[in-house]
Amino acid sequence: MIRFFLLSIMLVSNSIFSILEIEILKGSDNLSKIAFVPFGIEDGVEEDYGEQISQNIEKNMLLFGEFENLDKNEMLSYPSSEDDFFYRDWKVLGVDYSVIGRVNSVNALGNLNISYSLFNINRRIKILEGEIVGGEDNIEDISKIISNRIYEQITGLRGIFDTKLAYVINSDVDTYQICISDIDGKNEQILFTSKSPIMSPDWSPDRKKIAYVSFENGLAEIFIQDLKSGDRDSIQALGMTNSAPVWSPDGKSLALVVSFSGNPDIFLYSISNKRLIRLTNHYGIDTEPSWSPDSKKIIFTSDRSGSPQLYEINTKSKRKKRLTRDGNYNARGRYFPDGKSIFFVHGNDGNFQIAIKKLSSRYIETLTSTSLDESPTISPNGNIIIYATKDGSNGYLGGITLDGKARFSLPVKNGSVREPAWSPLIN
Amino acid sequence: MRRLFMEPIGIFILAMLCQVYSCASNVSDSVERIQYASVAGEEYLQGDKLDTNLDDKVYFDFDKSTLDAEDKNLLEQYLPAIKKAKIVRLEGHCDERGTREYNLALGERRALEVRDFLVVKGVSGKKIRVVSFGEEKPLKSASNEKAWAENRRVEISLY
Amino acid sequence: MNRVITSFNTFFLIVLFLSLIFSIFSLPKLNIDEEQSIRVNFYELIQDDNQLFNSSIPDIGIKKETKNLSSNNKEQKVVETAIISKFKINKIDIKNEISKIKLSKEREDILRVSAIIQERISSVWIKPNSLSESLIAKVLINLAPSGEILDFDLIEPSSNNFFNESILTAMNKMTFFEEVLSLDRKLFEKNFRNFNLVFKSSGEIE
Repeated sequence: MIRFFLLSIMLVSNSIFSILEIEILKGSDNLSKIAFVPFGIEDGVEEDYGEQISQNIEKNMLLFGEFENLDKNEMLSYPSSEDDFFYRDWKVLGVDYSVIGRVNSVNALGNLNISYSLFNINRRIKILEGEIVGGEDNIEDISKIISNRIYEQITGLRGIFDTKLAYVINSDVDTYQICISDIDGKNEQILFTSKSPIMSPDWSPDRKKIAYVSFENGLAEIFIQDLKSGDRDSIQALGMTNSAPVWSPDGKSLALVVSFSGNPDIFLYSISNKRLIRLTNHYGIDTEPSWSPDSKKIIFTSDRSGSPQLYEINTKSKRKKRLTRDGNYNARGRYFPDGKSIFFVHGNDGNFQIAIKKLSSRYIETLTSTSLDESPTISPNGNIIIYATKDGSNGYLGGITLDGKARFSLPVKNGSVREPAWSPLIN
Repeated sequence: MRRLFMEPIGIFILAMLCQVYSCASNVSDSVERIQYASVAGEEYLQGDKLDTNLDDKVYFDFDKSTLDAEDKNLLEQYLPAIKKAKIVRLEGHCDERGTREYNLALGERRALEVRDFLVVKGVSGKKIRVVSFGEEKPLKSASNEKAWAENRRVEISLY
Repeated sequence: MNRVITSFNTFFLIVLFLSLIFSIFSLPKLNIDEEQSIRVNFYELIQDDNQLFNSSIPDIGIKKETKNLSSNNKEQKVVETAIISKFKINKIDIKNEISKIKLSKEREDILRVSAIIQERISSVWIKPNSLSESLIAKVLINLAPSGEILDFDLIEPSSNNFFNESILTAMNKMTFFEEVLSLDRKLFEKNFRNFNLVFKSSGEIE
């Protein structure tokens, strides 16, 4: 602590020209407090909608524990337009941002016009204003769009409330299902049910397909399933075990693991011409590939040094580089969306936890504190990691924001949930 | 002069040999795969499993795929039955610790270790079928040392 | 077979050639002529002197010497003058040290108040997540002797607008730094009437 102060306070008071400079490195552990005021309604609009929309937005914004909310009963007023809005009313309640809005009916067909505003109470300015027209039955989607815009305005990051999650459920001893749902757990959809294990789901970049591994034919086999039609295609790659498929950023090929006579190596598989290109060739285990966002490199796990460690390989030059050295278990690495850091599973004293590492730095930072954490997946905006963990014998999904301020767990399903895969954004 | 002339021809022949060899190895790989697929599909499910009255599991240490003396002893006891069987199925498994895809590869390693031992002892490699389930099919679902030790195994079944 | 031998030969030839080149390049480093080495020593000596006395104290003598040095030749003379000037400066330095001791209490006060201000801002600044970017922004603060913030200005904004906004939001939450009331008025005017806050994005991770 003393060192921190010594480092961060720079006193250059001796010279005439210099001015005292105080360095601020540490941010607050507090969360921004947001007031979601029930939306006002015009005569003729069903009463319900105003409150429904603000509640939906509130639920979305609080989903990952990134913000605090102000209880509705504590609010001093329920303004629905800028004229009725007084900063003072919110400042005294310690609110950082307020969301207000109004629902107007456009026509008798049930179309609604929803206007909304966001205020920064401390700066006393309106920072966002918008309008959406939509049907009465699209209230949830409209709320997601508004939530995204508010989130973007407050954090500067892309909103992720319309993303989805794929995962595997093992509901009893021999029932395995691969499912997708909205990021808030709603609208669950079962893609495939099998009596044999299912593994490693991965979204195609256009969000239309999912690749995964199924043992339905008795051995690990890679399938690509179309989400709209439900059609499943097996990749007829050679070798006895095919596993760990991941889509390239352009969606034209997969990186995958093929084990020819028991030696797993990383290959590239072109989807259009079904050709396999070898990337690694080593008698050790090479597995768990993943693409860098610029698709120039692939990170993978290899035990060539004696213990599983992360390496990256340039797909063109095939030049390899070891990325981790601390500890004797660093596996299943993935790049951050900016490509400058990686996250992975770090084994430490028999505990397996999610860790991150800047590629430019030597240090590993452990994010989670439970002991059997695995399969981390990152939000497309790079701010949240969802991972699989265990409570007794039951698997569930946990999450953490990268500033470490918020931890959350996703709603419990009936069955052991594992291998979450966060969908990309729709562009 | 003659040697100079012969040299490129020699190189060419060598290159062709390499080509042929690599093609051949590809072919054998695909054959191998079909074998495994058929095992997985019906053969073993419909065939009768032979009962040997022996412990049908070999256990391993964490993140290891080496056989210790005890395991080898057990496999030795198995040898007569294995030699009689038509098909030997080796199923590799891991405990829940570590990542799933890595464990899938590790389970395969374990099963192959058993296969190699059997082949050295004179079992025909052709009748051995290897499959790995990684950590997907644990015997015990608890999260403790005892359960993990039981889950790190290769299961042997004879048909 | 022949081919193998010739390739070995070429390899050794290349190694030989490379080592020759390296040895040529490393020669000048080993052979420093006397004049040059002495010159280097002098330069260091004078540099040391420069560090000994405060930069605010002018010293024409030394400057002359350095000029002499650059024009070169009279090495003997330079040594003498350098030693003399070193002695002189030491006297001044002692005086300086005494005044420094007097200053140390003031320094302590400044440090103490700075630390409190730093902590108070840290407690209200909700830092946006910017793991990948390292950003710096500077805010100039104008205080009244009562500790009231009269004015603040983002004099050097960062390239990231949301980072700047988060700083302005935090600054808007502060109204008073009443800690400055405990300071001597002269000290306040000199240090806290106007001061800078430097916000940095990186530092928590690494």
